[in-house]
Amino acid sequence: MRFIVRRFLLFVAALFVISVVIFAALRILPGDAPSVMAGLNAPPERVAMLRSQMGLDRPLAVQYSSWIDGLLHGDFGISLLTGRPIGSMVAARCSVTFPLIVLGLIVAIAIGLTFGVMAVLTTRPALRSGFHLLGLIGGAIPALWGGLLLILLFGRGTGLLGVLPSQGFPETGWDSFRTAFASLVLPALTVGVISGASLMRYTRSALGDIMHSGYIDQAMACGYTRRAAALKVGLRLTMPQLVSVVGLMFASMITGVMVVENLFALPGIGTGLVTDLGNRDLIAVQSELFMLAAFFLFIGFLVDLLHRFLDPRLRYAVQERA
Amino acid sequence: MMMRNDSHNRAEEYQTGTDLSDMRQGAVSSVERSANQPSKRAAKDRENVALGRGFAVVLRLIWKRGEGKFALTVMTSWVAISLISLFWTPQSLWKTDGYQVWAKPSATQWLGTDGIGADVFSWLMAGARTDLFIAVASVIFAGILGVLLISIMVSRNSALSNGSVVAVDALISIPTILIALILAVPMGASVMVVVLACGIGYGLNLARVARPEALLAANSDYVGSALSYGASGFSVMLHHILPNVMPTVMVQLSLSAGTAVLAESGLTYLGIGVPSGVPSWGHSLATSVKLIDVYPLSALWPGLIVTIVAVALNIFGDVLRDTTDPSSNPELRRS
Repeated sequence: MRFIVRRFLLFVAALFVISVVIFAALRILPGDAPSVMAGLNAPPERVAMLRSQMGLDRPLAVQYSSWIDGLLHGDFGISLLTGRPIGSMVAARCSVTFPLIVLGLIVAIAIGLTFGVMAVLTTRPALRSGFHLLGLIGGAIPALWGGLLLILLFGRGTGLLGVLPSQGFPETGWDSFRTAFASLVLPALTVGVISGASLMRYTRSALGDIMHSGYIDQAMACGYTRRAAALKVGLRLTMPQLVSVVGLMFASMITGVMVVENLFALPGIGTGLVTDLGNRDLIAVQSELFMLAAFFLFIGFLVDLLHRFLDPRLRYAVQERA
Repeated sequence: MMMRNDSHNRAEEYQTGTDLSDMRQGAVSSVERSANQPSKRAAKDRENVALGRGFAVVLRLIWKRGEGKFALTVMTSWVAISLISLFWTPQSLWKTDGYQVWAKPSATQWLGTDGIGADVFSWLMAGARTDLFIAVASVIFAGILGVLLISIMVSRNSALSNGSVVAVDALISIPTILIALILAVPMGASVMVVVLACGIGYGLNLARVARPEALLAANSDYVGSALSYGASGFSVMLHHILPNVMPTVMVQLSLSAGTAVLAESGLTYLGIGVPSGVPSWGHSLATSVKLIDVYPLSALWPGLIVTIVAVALNIFGDVLRDTTDPSSNPELRRS
């Protein structure tokens, strides 16, 4: 319990530090943001208007506290470009990105766990080195290029097989479920395969270690076969470690997700953030960056809790010390 | 019986990912090694000799393995091509020809031309040096940051060490791309954004991975006796703790170099990495992606190069991990 409280306080502290960093990053912009946004030949009144609209004429501390105050009340500000509230913009984008991440994770876990376990269990040297090679190459493919290869292979129009859409997302969103889902298949495969390869390496390494431990000897002495011991005892023992890896994989996956969203022209968080950054829509960028950072810090917090929960040895060690 | 067989097989397999038990073994045997050092001066001499010899031994051991040969060959050609591209490329980078866009490979343009009629092969050659710079600079930056963090983490000031441990644990979940995005807001697209973002991200990672070994060394008897002789914290860190974590640091950094090359291509595509006009593999990949409908094969080369280089750096890291582990390599043991 004390651990949870302490970890939560840390989460809040990290959130605060990140918010200050993001706020500062947007304030040390070279040049004057409003005049950049207003354009080259803008009249001074327009620049002044933008400035007061952005609240840049107020002191820094006031700007910061009003931003945080808004965030705490669920008010993320208004986009300078579209005039729409940023909260609803982000929500719309999340409805694309979030399913993409979840699908990608499912693919990654399916590939990573299956192949990782198979790599440990197989006794044929050829298969072993095959899995090894697969893990190495899979983890070294740039997301951009991997997506491209998939488009060339499966994409409608350009691809050899031409079975799946490779560009865009239906205007109607998830109302047209089949089209929406189909347009996420290739992107999810791209990020899933790449992350799956690194998950496979971790699984193989972690499970491989456990297989040499006394736990497995004990299970086999009780009559388990090697395969059953690996699946029933070994996997449970590697679980805490794998949960940590999957949690951190979230963080590494988002890079792939952002690239892949741009490649497949999906209107998700990655595409939106890059567009807003290009348009110098600073208020939107500020809130979006903060939301992303908060999300990742929260994942880190959750992973630490889960790890503690899944590995009783850690819990007791802490209790003894306390 | 079964278990013996397995461990035999295992010796042939490269361990990837974090392998705590092996790391601990490595640290313990290096503890044993440095435990019997009589005087500071003599210890230093022997250390230098051992390091010099160790480096050659490690390189030879890596070369002896088939995949090590592959990794070293790729890395050497990478450096060589980067150097050559500074003085010579088959075609000038800035020679463009509006009538020769997307040309097929020919005798003068070995891989054809791109959308503005510039030579693809020359741009890939020149891209090698930018990516080399990014990989080396971000690894150096990550190394400095990581070692600094490790020093703070094992420092005797408990407030400082506890604080840094929890800070690293919390920040580790922030992805590199988010750091890059935050940096790109004030800095715009630049090589430095990639270097700093990768350096910060990998530095944090390094500190987290190497911490157990550093702690083991910091709590050892020889560090205790060095301190009781009046050695300063700094000198203990330099002479007793750092040598123990160095193998892990080197392995982790070479794996990071591969990730940095991958990150460059992603960040450049998103418009927050290498600015347009500066040759890089990510730049070559990003410009050809836009026209895959028409010229599907043009994106093949840069992606292939990035993959090969990243694979080579990963293999190098893996083989380095195997060869620098004294418990598995009798040749590295000092008799």
